[in-house]
Amino acid sequence: MPDIFQTQIKNALADPNLQSALDTNAENRLHARVQGYASLREEWLILRERAHGVRDETIANLDQYLTQFIDKVESNGIIVHKAEDASEAVQIVLDIAQHSDAQLIAKSKTMVSEEIGLNHAMTSTGIRVVETDLGEYIIQLRNEPPAHIITPAVHLKREQVGQTFHEKLGVPLTNDIATMTSVARQELRQIFLNADIGISGVNFGVADTGTLCMVTNEGNGRMVTTIPPVHIALMGIERLVPSMDDLALMLALLPRSATGQKITVYVNLINSPRQTEDADGPFERHLVLVNNGRTALRTSPLSEALLCIRCGAGLNACPVFREIGGHSYVNPNGKPSTYPGPIGSIVSPGLFGQSEFGQLARASSLCGACKEACPVDIDLPKLLLRVRAGGISMQPGRAESKISLSVQLGMKIYAWLVTKPKIFAFSQQIAGLATSLLPGDPHWMQVPGFTGWGRSRDLPKPSRHPFRSWWADRPIKEMEVELSDNVEHEVLREKRLNSQAEKSDTKSLIDWFAAELSALDGRFELIESDGGRDAQILKLGEQILSLLHGKDISSIMSWQTDQLPSGLVDYLKDHGIQVVQKADPSIKAGLTGVLAAIAETGTLVLHSGPERLQAASLLPEVHIAVLEARAIFSGMDQVFNLDELMDSAAVTLISGPSRTADIEMTLSLGVHGPREVYVFCLSD
Amino acid sequence: MEKIQLFATCIIDTLYPQVGMAVVRVLERVGGEVAFPQRQTCCGQPAFNAGMRPQAQKMAEHTIKVFEVTTGPVVVPSGSCAAMIRHGYLELFDGDPSWFQQAKNLAERTFEFTEFLVDYLGVADVGACFRSSVAYHSSCHLLRDLGVSEQPRALLSAVEGLDFIELPYSDDCCGFGGIFSVEFPEVSTAMLERKITNIEMCGADVITSCDGGCITHINGGLNQRGKTPLALHIAEILEKKQK
Repeated sequence: MPDIFQTQIKNALADPNLQSALDTNAENRLHARVQGYASLREEWLILRERAHGVRDETIANLDQYLTQFIDKVESNGIIVHKAEDASEAVQIVLDIAQHSDAQLIAKSKTMVSEEIGLNHAMTSTGIRVVETDLGEYIIQLRNEPPAHIITPAVHLKREQVGQTFHEKLGVPLTNDIATMTSVARQELRQIFLNADIGISGVNFGVADTGTLCMVTNEGNGRMVTTIPPVHIALMGIERLVPSMDDLALMLALLPRSATGQKITVYVNLINSPRQTEDADGPFERHLVLVNNGRTALRTSPLSEALLCIRCGAGLNACPVFREIGGHSYVNPNGKPSTYPGPIGSIVSPGLFGQSEFGQLARASSLCGACKEACPVDIDLPKLLLRVRAGGISMQPGRAESKISLSVQLGMKIYAWLVTKPKIFAFSQQIAGLATSLLPGDPHWMQVPGFTGWGRSRDLPKPSRHPFRSWWADRPIKEMEVELSDNVEHEVLREKRLNSQAEKSDTKSLIDWFAAELSALDGRFELIESDGGRDAQILKLGEQILSLLHGKDISSIMSWQTDQLPSGLVDYLKDHGIQVVQKADPSIKAGLTGVLAAIAETGTLVLHSGPERLQAASLLPEVHIAVLEARAIFSGMDQVFNLDELMDSAAVTLISGPSRTADIEMTLSLGVHGPREVYVFCLSD
Repeated sequence: MEKIQLFATCIIDTLYPQVGMAVVRVLERVGGEVAFPQRQTCCGQPAFNAGMRPQAQKMAEHTIKVFEVTTGPVVVPSGSCAAMIRHGYLELFDGDPSWFQQAKNLAERTFEFTEFLVDYLGVADVGACFRSSVAYHSSCHLLRDLGVSEQPRALLSAVEGLDFIELPYSDDCCGFGGIFSVEFPEVSTAMLERKITNIEMCGADVITSCDGGCITHINGGLNQRGKTPLALHIAEILEKKQK
C-alpha cells in the first residue's frame, strides 16, 4: 500500500474545513440531481440507456467518426492539429502562441489542459496564462490543482477564498461571496479584453457538422471563445457525438447530472472562425485533438471509461470521494491524479499507467453509487475491479504489485481452503473452538488495530456449530405449512420516476418560457399586439427606455437596426439614448434580438453574423433581448434543426443571467456575463 | 415445486448459523423443499474484489461444480454473493467459453433470498410476527447490482406487529466493501460512522439487511462503541411467528 495515498486520506479526514465542504457538495448535488432528472421529458433511465448507446457506438467506431469530424471542422475553416501525447499537445499550443506573438492567454476550464500540464509549460516560456472560471481562478491563485472535475474549488470554504483574494490580489479581507465574485469579475474582465489568445475545452464535437459545443455558467467560456483574436480549443479525441440530435440528448443529461440545471446558462456552438463580414469573434480558431493514451484505452478492457462525458455525478455520489476529496487521489509520489473519484480511478491508470495510479481503484467499497448516478450508464464497479485485476493489460502480475503481501498470502490460503470442502469445514470447527477459548464476550472478539479492521470494529466469533453441522444433524424436517396460494402477490418493482407529464396544450409556449426564465432569475415582459404593430413597438420602446432610465443608463451596445423590430432603435435614439454598434466594455447595457427561444429551459438562442454583435449579449451588465413570440419552440431538438445554426460561425444558447456556485456551492449572479437578463416578448 | 438449493455463503455458514436456519425455516414454511449441497464453501467474491482473478476463478469453479450436479433454483441469503454469481462469474469467465456457459447456467438459476420469495415464488407474506420497530438498510450489491429494493420492504411490511421505520439515507453504503474495509480502514470507518449516526437517529429497535457483510460491519462497529449490535438478517425477522 503506498503510504502517501494513505497519508493524504488521513489528512483529508482530519481537516474539518474540507469535511464540511465535501458534505455540502454531496448533499447539494444529490438533491439537485434528483430534481434535475425529475424535470426530464422522458424517464431518465430510458434516456440514459439511449445516451449509453450513442456513446458506445461512437467509441466503437471512433476512427470513422473522427475522420468525418476532422473533415467537417477543417472545411468549416478551423485549423485542426492532432497530438499523440501530452508533449505534442503542449508544443502545438506553444507554436500557435509563438506564431501569434502571444503574451497573455485567457483560459476557460479544460481538464485536458490539466492532463497535459499546459499551464506550467506556457508559464515557463514566459507567457502569462490566466484561468477564468471562478473556481479555477481561485485555485490558480493558490497554486493548487482542481479538486473536482467540474467544481475545482470544492474543497475550500469562503473564508479561505477571501484570504486568498486578500493575499494575492490585495483586496480588503471579506467573507461575502457576492463581493468576491465582483472582485473576480473586475480582475478577469481586463484579462478577457487584453488576451492575445483564448483557450477552451470542448464538451462535445459533433461529427456530421463539425460543431464544437461548450457549456458554461459563468460566461467565461463565451468570453475566451469570442473576444480574443485567436481561439484554441483542446479536446480529447473521444468527446464526439454523431449528430446534433445526439448532442441534444447529451445536453439534456449533462447539466442535470452535473448541477441539476436543465441547461447551463451558456451553451456555445462553434462552427467556424469569424466570417468575413461578422461583427465580432476570433479571426483564427484552432482545434487540438489530444490522444494521450486514449487509443490504447479504447482497445483495452477499460474502454467503457471513454463513454464518460465528465459531468462529475459519479464524484458527487461517491461516499469515498465525500470523505477524502479530490486531492487525495495521488500517485506514489504524491502527485494528484488529474481525474479524481471513481472515474478517475479508472481513467488515470488507464491513460497514465497502472503502476502510477492503479492503487486508486482499491479505494472503493464498490457500492455502485457512481454507476447509479452516471448519465451514460458506465459500469464503474466492473471497471474498478478490472483495474484491481491488472488494469489495461489485465495481467495478474500488474495486479499483485498493488496488493499487500499479507492480503495476497491470506487470500491464497483462503482460495486453497475453499476448494477443499472437508478441510474448509474442519477449519471452521477449529476457528470456532479456538475463539471460544478467548476470554471476554462470548460472541465478540477484539482484533488488533494493525489488521485495519480492529481499530473501529469488533469481529463476531465464528460459531462453534457452523450452519453445515446444524444441517447435518438436522432431524426430519417438520413441514409447517403448504405454500399458501391465497397470499396476495403485490405488484412490485413499479418505478415511480417522476417523468414529467407533457406540458398541456392549453399552456402556451409563452407562459412556459416565461416561467422557466423567471426560475433562472431572468425577467420577462410580454408586449401585446392589440393596438397593431406600431403601437406594440412604441410600447416596447417605452418599456426599454424606462428600464434604462431606472438604471441610469444612457448608452447601449446594440445589434444593427435591421436586426431589431423596425423603429425601435430610432425611438431610443430620439429619446436620448446613445446607441453603439461595436464592442465597448464601458457600456452597461446590451440590446439584441433573438433567433429562437426554447420554452422548456427558458433559453434564448443567438447566432453570430455581420449585424449581430455577440459582445452585446456578453460584455454589459444588463442584457435586453427582444423576442418574437413565434420564435419560441418547446424543445432544444427543434431549435437544432434550424438552418441558421449551421450557417453561423458561433451560436449561443443563453438561459438566464451568468451564474456561479464555485464558492461553497452558493449561487452568485453575474460573474462574467450579464448580471441581469430582460426578455421583451412581442406577441404575434 | 422444484427443490431449492441453498447456498448459505461462507459468512453465514461460519459466523451466523442461526441465519441459515432461519432461511431454511422460512423457505419450508412457504412450501419449499430445501437442499444444502455439503461441498459448498465460498463464492470467491473476496479474491475477486481483491483483484486476484486466478484465485477467484478457482473458487468460482468450485462453486459451479458443487451446484452443477443439482437442479432447481439456487437461493443465496446475501446480496453481494448472489451478485457475484449472477454478474461476477460472467466477468470472471469472459473469454473462457466452456466455463462461461457453465457460469451462465448457474447465474440464471441463482436468486437472492428476498428476491426469490417475492419475485420467484410470489410470496410477500410469509406469516411472520415480529413486534418491534425495524429499519431497513439497503445493501449496495443487492440494490444496485441486482436491482432488489422493493422486495425486502414488501416482506417486512407484511410482518404482523412490525413497525417499519425509514432509515435516513438507507441506500448509502455502510463502508464495508470487503477488502476495502481493511485496506482503507479510516475511510471505511468514516462511512460506518455516518451509518451509525443515521441508525441512532431513526431510533429503530432493529436494523435489518440482506447481506452478512453489512451486518458484520454495522454490528462490529456498534459493539466496539459499547452499543447494542442491533442488526439482524431479514430471515431472522421473517422466521419469527406468533407464539
